Amino acid sequence: MDDSQNKFIRLIKALDAGLHTLEKIILSWSILVITAMTAGNVVYRTITGQSWHFAAEISRLAIIVATFMGISYAARKGRHISMSAFFDLSPKRLKKVLAIVNPLITASILFIMSYYALLYTHSVFVSGRTTAALEFPFWVMVVALPVGMFLGGLQFIRNSWVNIKYDEVYLAQEKKDYDEQ
Amino acid sequence: MAWTMLAIMVFLLILGLPMMIPLIVGPLVILVFFMEGLDPTIMVQQMVEGISSYVLLAVPLFIFAADIMTTGRTSKRLLDFVGAFVGHMRGGYAITTAAACTLFGSISGSTQATVVAIGKPMRERLLKAGYKDSSAIALIINSSDVALLIPPSIGMIIYALVTGTSVGDLFIAGIGPGVLIFLFFAVYSWFYAKIHNIPLADRMPWKERGRVTLGALLPLGFPVIIIYGIYGGIFTPTEAAGVSVLYALLLEVFIWKTIRMPDLPKVALSSGIVTSAVFVLVAAGQAFSWVISFARIPRQMTDAVLGTDPTALYILFIVALFFFIGCMFVDPIVVILILTPIFYPIAFEAGIDPVHLGVVITFQAALGSATPPFGVDIFTASAVFNKSYLDVIRGTPPFIVMLLIVGLLVILFEEISLFLLWIF
Amino acid sequence: ACGNDNNGNDGENLDADDVSGDDVDAVEWRMVTEETEGQVQMVYAEEFADTLYDLSDGQIELDVYGFGELGSEVDQVEQLSTNIIEFAVISPGFTGTLVPEGNLFALQFLFPDDLRQAQDILNESEAINTTLREKYEEHSITPLAFWTEGAMQWTGSSPLQTPEDFDGFQMRTQESPLILRSYEAYDANPTAMSWGELYTGLQQGQVEGQENPLFFIEDANFNEVQDYLTISNHNMYVTMTTVNTEFYNGLDDATRAIVDEAVEQMRDRAFEIQEEQNEGALERIEEATDTPTEVYELTEEEREMFRELAAPVRDFYRENEGDDAAEILDTLMEEMDEMME
Ligand code: NA
Ligand code: NA
Repeated sequence: MDDSQNKFIRLIKALDAGLHTLEKIILSWSILVITAMTAGNVVYRTITGQSWHFAAEISRLAIIVATFMGISYAARKGRHISMSAFFDLSPKRLKKVLAIVNPLITASILFIMSYYALLYTHSVFVSGRTTAALEFPFWVMVVALPVGMFLGGLQFIRNSWVNIKYDEVYLAQEKKDYDEQ
Repeated sequence: MAWTMLAIMVFLLILGLPMMIPLIVGPLVILVFFMEGLDPTIMVQQMVEGISSYVLLAVPLFIFAADIMTTGRTSKRLLDFVGAFVGHMRGGYAITTAAACTLFGSISGSTQATVVAIGKPMRERLLKAGYKDSSAIALIINSSDVALLIPPSIGMIIYALVTGTSVGDLFIAGIGPGVLIFLFFAVYSWFYAKIHNIPLADRMPWKERGRVTLGALLPLGFPVIIIYGIYGGIFTPTEAAGVSVLYALLLEVFIWKTIRMPDLPKVALSSGIVTSAVFVLVAAGQAFSWVISFARIPRQMTDAVLGTDPTALYILFIVALFFFIGCMFVDPIVVILILTPIFYPIAFEAGIDPVHLGVVITFQAALGSATPPFGVDIFTASAVFNKSYLDVIRGTPPFIVMLLIVGLLVILFEEISLFLLWIF
Repeated sequence: ACGNDNNGNDGENLDADDVSGDDVDAVEWRMVTEETEGQVQMVYAEEFADTLYDLSDGQIELDVYGFGELGSEVDQVEQLSTNIIEFAVISPGFTGTLVPEGNLFALQFLFPDDLRQAQDILNESEAINTTLREKYEEHSITPLAFWTEGAMQWTGSSPLQTPEDFDGFQMRTQESPLILRSYEAYDANPTAMSWGELYTGLQQGQVEGQENPLFFIEDANFNEVQDYLTISNHNMYVTMTTVNTEFYNGLDDATRAIVDEAVEQMRDRAFEIQEEQNEGALERIEEATDTPTEVYELTEEEREMFRELAAPVRDFYRENEGDDAAEILDTLMEEMDEMME
């Protein structure tokens, strides 16, 4: 392996590690923010009689971000829900094929949807629409969709790649098939 | 068009692709191949819409509260308390689980939140007591359904708006079928424990019970705060979920110091991943429902099935079937909004009591979200317990049989839902 | 209007436009409303569809979708402006984030107390039908008619008769800053709550009151969980018959004439539909003795007290609700003065 290729792989690995950390931060802080908004509003209202009019909107932003930025993280950990009956009962050879093909199909669908999501985000951006309570630009609310689905697609390609590279069946980058655990 | 879509979805489903893929590809196929000129970005808009409901926020919050409680001491103390009083009874834990799910569901109004909040701690205790995991999970998922039937029920409020029926009457009418389901589950649990020889704990002496109760005093604040907070008008069910997290933090972080503040994001991360896995499906389900209602698929199918001049009983069975199938894919509230206007006038014409129809519809909506192949409660359980799909549904058949029997009884005997109304 | 023209185009209800279906291609269009079967907007939309059908000799078929079929109200606005659907009944309350000037109709005690007079202003005002319409057209939404679904009324768990009754009162409103401001002007505590939670919220007391037209109050069963209803007429619920701008401008003259004629024919019907529904709803609320509701109508003096407190909110509107807000409001007030003379 020549030097430049090595560098490239190291760069990818560093990027991936950075992304992994970022995903973790986003997911956990979204939940903390929702908690702070919902519970904070109750406490504030009990004390002052007034409500936080931004609470619902911030929570909504957080849940959208968590849902779509979570696609990629859940893909790493093999936590996406699937109807695995047929897969679980398949012989190892077929499992291996499915473990390579399925993530590729998933990735392509996610890429297509992230393209549409990008178009959608752009149209929202152009419309100048704002949110109801805080009146911040609405595209901020939806930009997690194109980004999240694109990153999710990349992660599924990786899930396919580990199955090509290694002999065992991997449900995800970080999760072997139940039979192999 | 509808059949092509369904065939593709089922095929992708069987291949074992993540559940979100068939839910996305089905409607995408319709948009791209059958409704040319229609902009597929509409699906993105609807995915955002699907997870924008304020009421749904209770789900991640209860997940988080449950994660904190199971990481710390709260849930163990609560379960010790339960065990001290029911551990020596046959089927005691299972019956308690069913009761707790029913009660919690009625308070929170969310079947998914119930799966998390009650299911997560109770499952561990059921396993310890000797129950099979598949049975424990099935019991939890199916008991949580009853949430939709016992007041306050959002499903019934929406049905009332669409049809002009009284919410108060619906709330009362939901109690009979809800209790009936609980009774079925309780009797089943008793027999299950007997047949499987689930070992009974010794009856705990009162002194010991007193000790356990004392230890559970602070955790018992949970139900008190939630029930008092909601019925006392201090906060909404969604806010109750937020307050649950606060209270869990108070106990675990500040009083018992079982969780350190810097570890909190780690606990939140595990709640976040579950939330994401479930909400992606809620989002895709909404896009799916938009496309099929835009294409008028539900109306075409109901027209085809109902024919001319159907009998009341036939209508009720068709209603049951459509809501049952609809709620496998889509949020019950959306299904009620879409399908009720189609069926209501026909049912009304045939002389079906609107309150009774509302109960049948809500019942099927509840049932649909817990039965395979799709179902939000199954998804939630799979994500929360980190079990494969097959493991989650393995134990469900007996419960589905019971629910189908109760469903049949409710359809055949409107007295089950209406008798309380006649009394009052 | 659409009832008596079964015998073709020679019905006397057609005016000089003399629209006819002869030159119209067969088309299928879609219209979406914010309400469910039987409610004002749906009845309107279905009759509008019949009118189009009759005027075009069956060439124009309009398929009507109710609330919930195509997503939220805000989604529907977006779907209209991107021409996924051609027609919609849209309320300015749901377009505030796009056309803030439309929040005009949320101002309380601005229009005349008499609903018929208020509707006449909606029909004739230049400020509304030209200036405001153009603001919508910037987003590809053409309002063909502004019409009321009835006056807004208050319900409460306690009587709401004077501004003092609002002191610290937990009022459920929509999330719009202007509406929040309006209730803060009475010293109430406005609380945003999704309407899925509203029935139980009222029942259990997380919020104490809400505002809506009578037909909606009765349909959503809020009277079951509220003890007091105030006929406050504090503003009117305004909605719009809208069409996608590019679609509308692209229609050939004959077809567009039919659309315009149908809109005109529906103007009086819209007023009748809401009148029937709101009157019927009030009767049913009064007759529901197992969930009694005390009905109170504000006196002129009480209205005056509210009007005084509500007036400064107009400045909030002028300053915060878009570039043309001040111009629209000022022109409208001049127009109203002229018309009321
Ligand atoms: Na409930
Ligand atoms: Na009442």
